[in-house]
Amino acid sequence: MEPLTSFFAVSVVLLGIGIYGLTTKRNALRILFSIELIYNAANLNIIAFARLRDPPIVTGQVLVLFTIALAAMEASVGLAIIMLVSRLNVDIDLRKLNRLKG
Amino acid sequence: MTDLTFLALATVTVASAILALEARDLVYGAAALGITFLGMAGLFFLLDASYVGAFQIAVYIGAVVVLILFTVMLVGPQLGEPPLELRRLSLLTALLVALLLGTAGSLTSAAAFPGPDNCGGGCDLTRLGTTLINQYGVPLEFLSLVLAAAVIGALTLAKADRKG
Repeated sequence: MEPLTSFFAVSVVLLGIGIYGLTTKRNALRILFSIELIYNAANLNIIAFARLRDPPIVTGQVLVLFTIALAAMEASVGLAIIMLVSRLNVDIDLRKLNRLKG
Repeated sequence: MTDLTFLALATVTVASAILALEARDLVYGAAALGITFLGMAGLFFLLDASYVGAFQIAVYIGAVVVLILFTVMLVGPQLGEPPLELRRLSLLTALLVALLLGTAGSLTSAAAFPGPDNCGGGCDLTRLGTTLINQYGVPLEFLSLVLAAAVIGALTLAKADRKG
């Protein structure tokens, strides 16, 4: 069995990639990708910590099940918003979407 | 044995995550994101969370990636990523992420979390199912309500015959 630290390392690397994408990308779909990556990093972290005891802590797995379902909802609503924006306004560049600015 | 499997899975996951953000074509990006989700499901299997891994494949590969692909097709080809004029922000982000990685790496040591070797009788699905229904039954029902609300909201937002 691999030590759990390696799983934490993968999780931290994915979190870093997600933060990088959130701050530097401008396309709305890429930002949604980054959010999904960060969700996955958090899920991996929770599952790894749930495995810390010998019988794995079941509550952690239940929590991750809820998180996955919530992430899917968030993705569906976000994609609907992106489709709406792309229909109203050709570009989905988030830095040009400042129509609500006063 | 599991060492090699872990290394392969981790490499594939991280590499395809980078590719998902950096691929020029959004369709390739979405496919790479799907590979990332698959690698993550493999890592869940390695951690003896097989039900969560199967759920991950069903929800992420089956629903989210397909939705993203449809959206990419409907939104149409984007004109590529415009040249990044935020060099400073990019550099700052790289520094911040490196700091995060370094801190996390220096704080943890391999001996701190050894990870149990075998998974006695505790890894069967019975415990998970019992806990999910007995202890978290009400949150589960609320989750289905929230799911219905999200689907209705998404449908309302994306309805085709909107005027103005």
